[in-house]
Amino acid sequence: MTERLSPRAATFGGLLLWFAVLGGVLSWTVHALAAWSIDELTCEAGHDELAGFPLTGAIALAVLLPAAGAVAALGVSVLAWRRTRADLPEGGEQSVGRAHLLAFVGLWLNTLALAMIVLGGVAALVLSPCQR
Amino acid sequence: MPSSTTERGAGPGTEVVERLTAEWAEPPTLRGWFSTVDHKRIGRRYLVTAAVFFGFAGFSALAMRTQLAGPEAEILSPGEYNQLFSMHGTAMIFLFSTPMLFGFGNFLVPLMVGARDMAFPRLNAFGYWVFLFAGLFMWASVPAGAAPNGGWFAYVPLTDERHTPGLHLDVYTLGLLFLGISTSAGAINFIVTSLKLRAPGMSLNRVPVFVWAIVATSFMVIFALPVLNLDNALLFLDRRFDTRFFDTDRGGNVLLWQHLFWIFGHPDVYIIVMPALGIVSAVLPVFCRRGIVAYPLIVLSVVAIAIISFGVWVHHMFATGLPQLSYGFFSAASTIITIPSGLQIFAWLATMLLGRIVVRVPFLFVVGFIVTFVIGGFTGVMFALTAFDQQTTDSYFVVAHFHYVLFGGAVFPILAAIYYWLPKISGRMYSERLGRYAFWLIFVGMNLTFFPMHVSGLLGMPRRVYTYPGGLGWDPWNLLATVGAYVLGLGLLLVAVGVVHALRRGAPAPDDPWGGDSLEWATSSPPKPYNFPVLPRVHSLHPVWDPRTAESTGPGATEDRILTDGRQTLFTSELDGRYERAVRMPEETLKPLVAAIGLLTVFVGLLFAWYWVAAAGGALFAGTLAGWLWPAHRTPEEAGVPA
Amino acid sequence: MTERGEGILTAATRPTGLATEEPVGRSTGWWGVMLFLTTEGTLFAALFGSYFYLRFQHGAPWPPDGIRQPELLLPLIMTAVLVPSSLPVLWAEAGIRQGRRWQLRAGLFGTLVMGGTFLGLQGVEYSGILREYTFTTNVYGSLFYAITTFHGSHVAVGLLMVCWLLVASLHGSFGPHRYERVRIVAYYWHFVDAVWVAILFTVYLSPRL
Ligand code: HEM
Repeated sequence: MTERLSPRAATFGGLLLWFAVLGGVLSWTVHALAAWSIDELTCEAGHDELAGFPLTGAIALAVLLPAAGAVAALGVSVLAWRRTRADLPEGGEQSVGRAHLLAFVGLWLNTLALAMIVLGGVAALVLSPCQR
Repeated sequence: MPSSTTERGAGPGTEVVERLTAEWAEPPTLRGWFSTVDHKRIGRRYLVTAAVFFGFAGFSALAMRTQLAGPEAEILSPGEYNQLFSMHGTAMIFLFSTPMLFGFGNFLVPLMVGARDMAFPRLNAFGYWVFLFAGLFMWASVPAGAAPNGGWFAYVPLTDERHTPGLHLDVYTLGLLFLGISTSAGAINFIVTSLKLRAPGMSLNRVPVFVWAIVATSFMVIFALPVLNLDNALLFLDRRFDTRFFDTDRGGNVLLWQHLFWIFGHPDVYIIVMPALGIVSAVLPVFCRRGIVAYPLIVLSVVAIAIISFGVWVHHMFATGLPQLSYGFFSAASTIITIPSGLQIFAWLATMLLGRIVVRVPFLFVVGFIVTFVIGGFTGVMFALTAFDQQTTDSYFVVAHFHYVLFGGAVFPILAAIYYWLPKISGRMYSERLGRYAFWLIFVGMNLTFFPMHVSGLLGMPRRVYTYPGGLGWDPWNLLATVGAYVLGLGLLLVAVGVVHALRRGAPAPDDPWGGDSLEWATSSPPKPYNFPVLPRVHSLHPVWDPRTAESTGPGATEDRILTDGRQTLFTSELDGRYERAVRMPEETLKPLVAAIGLLTVFVGLLFAWYWVAAAGGALFAGTLAGWLWPAHRTPEEAGVPA
Repeated sequence: MTERGEGILTAATRPTGLATEEPVGRSTGWWGVMLFLTTEGTLFAALFGSYFYLRFQHGAPWPPDGIRQPELLLPLIMTAVLVPSSLPVLWAEAGIRQGRRWQLRAGLFGTLVMGGTFLGLQGVEYSGILREYTFTTNVYGSLFYAITTFHGSHVAVGLLMVCWLLVASLHGSFGPHRYERVRIVAYYWHFVDAVWVAILFTVYLSPRL
């Protein structure tokens, strides 16, 4: 590699790649835990609002915010995947090939995570929150 | 492509080999047997011990099948039957599948990544002893008539003190807590080994799929097992010390058990199956004479399954009445997780289509796996229909389904692995003919045993019954299943005979009998105590097929990868496998064994409520650990203290 | 090399930036202790999850059966003792990195005193509360004692490790090149501190919300 980066930019780039890999599934984790516990606990307590906030609104937030996170991660992973595609001479620098693989994994992980969040959102549209 | 294996072996001179042998060989004494830290010996012990536990659990199953051969049989009492199926399930899941696969991991991971041992060799030995003792702890309860009897998932309130007095469930909770220590330690060891000890040049995009699978499994263990441990600890406290976690009269809640159990239990299905899938990805391409197709997709699939499996837990509770929407958030996960699982199947099929297939025994077992696993997956999809699920819950249909998944998904790959790696492990070839007989007996026997259970289940036969009345249309299916079980047993016996035959009479195995691509085939069969005289340098995903790697271990190899001064191996960087530094590895020691004995004392003391004994065991454990980790004395200069 | 401000993003997303290894260069000991703490953290997370699950399934009033809200004064004092006890560990570690063995010993000793005080205060707290309810009274009592005792035993184990380090350091085993065990114990100790903060919130403060 010829070009040199400042240490800060390098660290930032390394972390950005991890966001591209794991951002989507982390968003999905937040979504599933938040939406589930909001729904189950509020319904269990016999309310349909959460501290004065309508339950559907709270659930909508628990879908939309994580969805935005997953979309962001997806965008970064696509970018990373394309930027690291450059063919390198065989046996040369292995880092770019490794980053390319991770970005590829991230790309699909983010897609799957986004799909799960969207499906959760669809369920929230179709079902009324406390229906048994 | 397999080629250029000829120049291998022209390694460093005899003088180097002598020095390495002097550093790494362990004395062939009794003490040496107990104090070994060699990952290959420990891995072999894991394999043998887990196979013995499989035998015990298999005999329990045969006893059950004998009882169920016809209606109204009286070979087993209801109480005995309950203990047998509980121990069978618990042992198959916890004492056989995972330890067996960890045994392969133990033997293979350091070889595959090109290291001289695991990252923590003494912890590795400790993990084995704890596994052995925990297994004996649990199995000893069977002859004592105090075996767990609440099923393998031990639902409360059935399993609380009031409904099941006696030691049965205490054996279960304590035994699983004890075993959990071993599993967690093993998982940490696998992750760290794969992160830090890979051969120079092995960046993450060159790591064999089997290693990816073991690492993903280990991460699942790290996040799932603590939840099971908590669950068991709470149940033990409720039973022994009258806490109220699951006591509805005092504000507790029985559903807590189920939630915690399945947060662990669903990933656990994949904890069992994932390394087995890794085995398939290692074995299959070799018998198709080509590299695996779509490596990046398989890596994706491994990682995705490991993560998404945590979101699937509530689907085990369709019968418990939560708000529908809260299922909705999780059924998305149950649907999506089929995508990565399907990807692997297609990658294997493509590998077979694009390759030239060579049919040998390991390949046969891989095909057997694919067939059974796909059937199991199909019946699994049927459960996703809630109505069907509620019809068949707790019937023999479920028993049939999960045996297709678990026998197909774990036992077939394990058998493939036994035949595939036996030459490497023992240095002997097995008899192909015996192997083929065994395969056909097992394949036929397995389907004969478990297919009829679908039918009896649909005809309404509930699971976990010790007998049944005649004339309900269940009799022929049960008889068939029992016959199948004996055929299956015979097949498994033939596998054991085949292994013993190979060890006694087998032809000496070449270093690379199959033309494999990963680094375990680049060393001798069986490997020397130091694994590799020269630590190889990796340039691609298929190092053994790569002349550059062979060259890197040839005459021109540099001292920084030979390392003859004491027991040494290499640290490389986490993601890209860049050379970092040589590090010392520990000598053999008895401390892991003593520490495990301390823990055994703790758990026996807790079981019988001899709390002073438990405390003494705890002290022994802590004391041993203190000595084990005691820092070597250093002069100020060595430690770097300025005068 | 000159990128700054908004330029950092452009630089970071160049192939070399994205391909920067992170994390890198850690020892096996570091990874081992991090993974171990992850399992421990998961265990505590599951325990807190169980607390809230049981609490919400139980419904009001919480605490049930006429048990009073937890007193706050003593737990706050305990917090004030335990959380700052991470500082002497940090100081000790900084000392041995410079080769100052006395600083290592003094720091570890400070931690020992503070951790010991914490356990003593926990004993005082128990002796008061045990008169009101025990772990068999109801699910609230079970949760309270299980969570606090489980954490307390972690503090006790941490103190044992600190003692062990102290003895080893009196033997003269550590120096600027050799202090990994000090770091590992330090990580464990910080973890135990952090868990206490979560307990303060879960067990003591959340019932008042
Ligand atoms: C070796 C051949 C095997 C046979 C003949 C067999 C047979 C049986 C039978 C008869 C039952 C009891 C069904 C009931 O009464 O409800 C059972 C249960 C079970 N088996 Fe197997 N099995 C075999 C292998 C395995 C394997 C390899 C695994 C897992 C890796 C496994 C896991 C289980 C589990 C989890 C249960 C449920 C126990 C419970 O109800 O709590 N089995 N098996």
